[in-house]
Order: sequence, then structure tokens, then C-alpha cells
Amino acid sequence: MTGSYIGKPAGGKLLRLELEWEGGLVVRASIRGDFFAHPEEGFDEAEAALVGTPVDSVGTTFAAALERRGVALFGLTAESVGAAAATIVASVRQSVSDAEPGAPSADGGRE
Amino acid sequence: MTEFRYIETGSNPAAFNMGLDEAILESVASGAEPPTLRLYAWNPSDVSVGYFQGVRDEVDLARCAELGVDVVRRLTGGGAVFHASELTYSVVVPESHRLARGGILESYRAVCAGVIAGLAELGIVSSFAPLNDIVGADGKKLSGNAQTRKRGCLLQHGTVLLGVDLDAMFTVLRVPNEKLKGRLIEDVRARVSSVSSTLGRETGYAEVVPAFERGFAAAFGGLGERSVPSGAEMARARVLASERFASDEWTFRR
Repeated sequence: MTGSYIGKPAGGKLLRLELEWEGGLVVRASIRGDFFAHPEEGFDEAEAALVGTPVDSVGTTFAAALERRGVALFGLTAESVGAAAATIVASVRQSVSDAEPGAPSADGGRE
Repeated sequence: MTEFRYIETGSNPAAFNMGLDEAILESVASGAEPPTLRLYAWNPSDVSVGYFQGVRDEVDLARCAELGVDVVRRLTGGGAVFHASELTYSVVVPESHRLARGGILESYRAVCAGVIAGLAELGIVSSFAPLNDIVGADGKKLSGNAQTRKRGCLLQHGTVLLGVDLDAMFTVLRVPNEKLKGRLIEDVRARVSSVSSTLGRETGYAEVVPAFERGFAAAFGGLGERSVPSGAEMARARVLASERFASDEWTFRR
């Protein structure tokens, strides 16, 4: 399943999150926006570390991965990434449960 | 004795400009060159996107191609910038340098002091607006700035808006919602100013360079004579331009 989020968390910069998951596990995560992170490469690694993690624990996994690499964020928090992920998952689950029984699962989320 | 090397490189394409900032970072990191201030501009016009931005999210690539506007991804985070009528600077110092001490916010403030002093030389009152902007007396943005720390050095580069063409800017930049484009343009018009509009006359790069030389010299405790990058830096900049900054792999990595 896939979904995306675009929004400006309170006090933060613009956040775009795209998530793809199968069987409850993340297979792709893309976090984009005009925020800052030092070191940048540590952020890339923490983002990559989301693959394989339960889709319901994106925020905590991301926070731990950033901390392990000593990455400082400006204009973004791991909590806001987790909240955006939860928004996507809730939206997709809602549209799946709204779908006709037996219909293919919905693909979408908040755009 | 002044510790700061000062180089001025005029207008260049985007990939070279970003390659040279990284080449200077490398040469300061290795100890080959002292802390460095560079002033520069862009030709052709360019859109730069922040390290974490999606280039397709932010840039109308087809319009850029039609108009001959370059597109480049920066080493630094932050937002998309349309570089047309502006003065750009970069500052590279070791992280142990006084300008880099005291954390991210304080180092932004310390480097931006040079921009603010340069604007003062032009008769423009401005102030630092955390985290990374400089605003005029009316609160409108005159300068955006971005920094990264690599190889034990701080690189901060930023732009001073000399003129703003919002129609051109919003031709090449994408907006999250096309239906709201008119309102977004009005919103930016209300928040962004320029040296030309503040002074009430067209003001170009060549005219403002001496003012920013004096401003940075005052804020940084003196600058060396105006010079050019070393031959090694120029060669390295060309390699970084072609292998990194002009490559699709880098531009489209997000």
C-alpha cells in the first residue's frame, strides 16, 4: 500500500512524506522538504533504515536512527514524521475499510 | 594580518558555482587555504533546490528547459531558490573558527553579520531573522542563507536579493496547489523585498560588490585583497561540477 502526506507541522518547515508498505512493513520511505539536517548523510541513512520497520513505528524508528548517527534536525522533528506516517496509514486503512467487500485495496492517502 | 582570503568569481553556471563552493570547502579542510569568503553570481539564471527537496516537487523542469534556466541541487538544506538578480556569497571556515562556534544558530548569526553590514553600506537597515533569514526594516526578507558542516569545516552560502521578478520565479518554481498560485504569489510579494525595491532604483551585482566587501571586512575583522580561486580549486570545481552537480544522479536523488 502507498500513501503520501504534505503539510507544514506546527513550527516546522514543509514536510513531504511518501510511504509504501507491505504486510505492515515499510518497503519505501521518502522524506522531503526544505528542512535542514546535520550531517546530511546521517539523515539519508536514517531514512533508509526505515525500510523493513513496522509502518506503525516509523516515528520512533526514525528518532532512534537519527540519534544513533548524531543527526540534528532543524525545521523538522522525528515526531512530525511519525505523525505524518500515522496520518497516511489511518487514511489508507479508512479507505480500505470503506471499499466494497472483495474490492481491490485502495491506493492513496492524503495528497 | 588578516586571516580571511577573499575571492570574487563573477557570474557562472550553477553546477560550477556549487562545485567551486565544495572545492573551497575541501581546500580549507585540508589546510591548503585559509578561511575564505567568496562573492559570486549566476549566469544563466538557475533554480537551486535544498539537499532534502524533491526536484520534481519544487521545479517545473520543462519550463526551465524552455527558458534556459539551470537546475542544481545544493549541498545545503533549505528551500528552492530562483537565482537571477542577486549577489551570492559563500563562507568556509574550520569548525574551530570563532564564526563557527556556539552552535548552528550562533554561527548563522555570526556569518549573517557580514551580509547585514554589507546592506548597511548600501544604506539599508536589516536584521537577522532566525534561523536563516535576513529581513529589512519592514520585516520583509532580503536574504536567505544555508549552511552545512563537512570535513571539519562550516560552509555557509546565501543570497542577497537585488531584484525580484515574481512572475519569472513562479514560472520555474512549482507550487503545492496550482489553484492557490495567485494567492501564493501575493503572499511572497508581502514577505519578500529586494535591494532595488528598498533603494528605489535598479541595483546590480557589480555595484554592490564593493559594499559587501566593506561589510564582510568590518564583520570578519578584515579581508585579504580581492583574488581568485587557486588553480587546484578551479580544476577541482570543474570535476565536481561535471561529476556531481550536473549529474542526473545527484539532481534527481530526491
